[in-house]
Amino acid sequence: MKPWLFLLAFALPGLSPAASLQPLNADAVDVLLQPPARGERFIALWSLDCAYCEANMQTLARLQQAHPERIELVTVATDSIAQRDAISARLDAAGMEQWPARAYADTTPDRINYLIDPQWGGEMPRTLVIRADGSRRGLSGALTPEQLAKLR
Amino acid sequence: MAHPWSLPRMLTVVALALLPLTLPARNMPTPAAPALGASAAFDTLGRLYVVDTADGHVRLRRSDDEGTTFSAPVNVNMTAEPIYAEGENRPKIALGPHDELYVSWSQPRAKPWTGFVRFARSLDGGDHFSAPLTVHRDRREITHRFDAMAVDGHGRVVIAWIDKRDLEAANAANKPYEGAATYYSWADDGIHFVPGRKLMDQSCECCRIALARTAHGGVAAFFRGIWDDNRRDHAYAELRTDGQTGRATRATFSDWRIAGCPHQGPGLAIGADGVRHAVWYEATHGPTLWYGQLDPGHAPRHKLALASAGAAHADVATDGTNVWLAWNQIDAAGYALVVRTSTDGGVHFSAPRTLARSHGDVGSPQWLLHRHRAYVAWNTATGFRLLKLDGAPR
Repeated sequence: MKPWLFLLAFALPGLSPAASLQPLNADAVDVLLQPPARGERFIALWSLDCAYCEANMQTLARLQQAHPERIELVTVATDSIAQRDAISARLDAAGMEQWPARAYADTTPDRINYLIDPQWGGEMPRTLVIRADGSRRGLSGALTPEQLAKLR
Repeated sequence: MAHPWSLPRMLTVVALALLPLTLPARNMPTPAAPALGASAAFDTLGRLYVVDTADGHVRLRRSDDEGTTFSAPVNVNMTAEPIYAEGENRPKIALGPHDELYVSWSQPRAKPWTGFVRFARSLDGGDHFSAPLTVHRDRREITHRFDAMAVDGHGRVVIAWIDKRDLEAANAANKPYEGAATYYSWADDGIHFVPGRKLMDQSCECCRIALARTAHGGVAAFFRGIWDDNRRDHAYAELRTDGQTGRATRATFSDWRIAGCPHQGPGLAIGADGVRHAVWYEATHGPTLWYGQLDPGHAPRHKLALASAGAAHADVATDGTNVWLAWNQIDAAGYALVVRTSTDGGVHFSAPRTLARSHGDVGSPQWLLHRHRAYVAWNTATGFRLLKLDGAPR
């Protein structure tokens, strides 16, 4: 890290790259699931307890970077926003700090899981793709390149 | 990953970091709500004990009126420590034959996905607890968590957990290893645990383990394994305490493949007739909760799809010819606690019946039996609830 950046980090209390982590409550799920204006929105659902999830987010991040004009990526931690510091630290460590990030507002994830996708039982990682035409597709587990190609 | 701190990137970082400062108060962090992981147990006199967590303490409460009123909470661990109590994690309580109180929990360590299995007991009804001890002798900062606890027919305390020591060894030797191992230990005297025994290599790393007393007074485990190519079916094993090694045998055959964390562990209850009643989750063709009678090595008998979308965290209990099933059913309005009952040993079940609802968050349901009556312990955001099943016992 450059020295001036280090100083800046101290000059602004609470400043960290993933400080933009926002809560996702049940009422906000509809907005998250709105079709994008073009291309696809990928929602990378993950949790602190899931050792497969960071690699999956990074796979999706590479895809988004390869097609920035067509693909949006949002990461959503199903852990409670009360664990904000741990979630932000994990996103930073995984190099995921530059994408919009949400964390559940509820203490237990099941209800928001259901609102996001009733055909999802909470297994992790979960990738949800929402296309501009309104169609959706969800897949559980760390995505292989072949699965990723099919999702698009 | 490389971090090129170019000026455009720096500006993006600053813009993102400043964003929250401009947002209205409704986007401020939500105050920390207590985790809902809790467990309950009756003593021989019908007094109900409940453990949950608050501020780094496992705390114990007692109710002498079936959950209507509770004593003031007592801290099990005097010194606060991190405690897993979210999702499939919850502190456990089990009672010995003379109403000894045994409590276990998993303690997160600093590194991700790591933990220590912790234990304390009280011999005076919860007035005093022993200093917490770490159950396993392996003290590396790796996964030893998802503790499950039972007391066997000889009063031994048996604890099983998920352990990554073999994964670490395989990684160091550049050998492939899927998931984690399942280990267990026991204490003949309720306080001194023997060195951990391995039950199974390459089992699932993030689902709770179900333990149940066998018809012969032993303890058996039902837990999610990993079978070739990430098939996350379940294994059944008896936890031998006689120096012999118990063998984990595949007991479900759904072939659900997932390179990930199912986050839904199974339930197990064994009848006096030896029938192994089980519930489990898989999502090969969409989320499904199953009931079946385990026949390790073969497909379960009397298999029944209990519930599908929105159903989670099932538990099972049995007494005589009664079998009781409970789970959380989620919909847009919140959570329902749903039960199905059988009076013919699990051959037929009643239609699903909603026993209670909650608009706020809930923990996993847990069956309790006392004097042949069935109760469900259900921890909710508005408080702990004990629900007694209607009808005379058979």
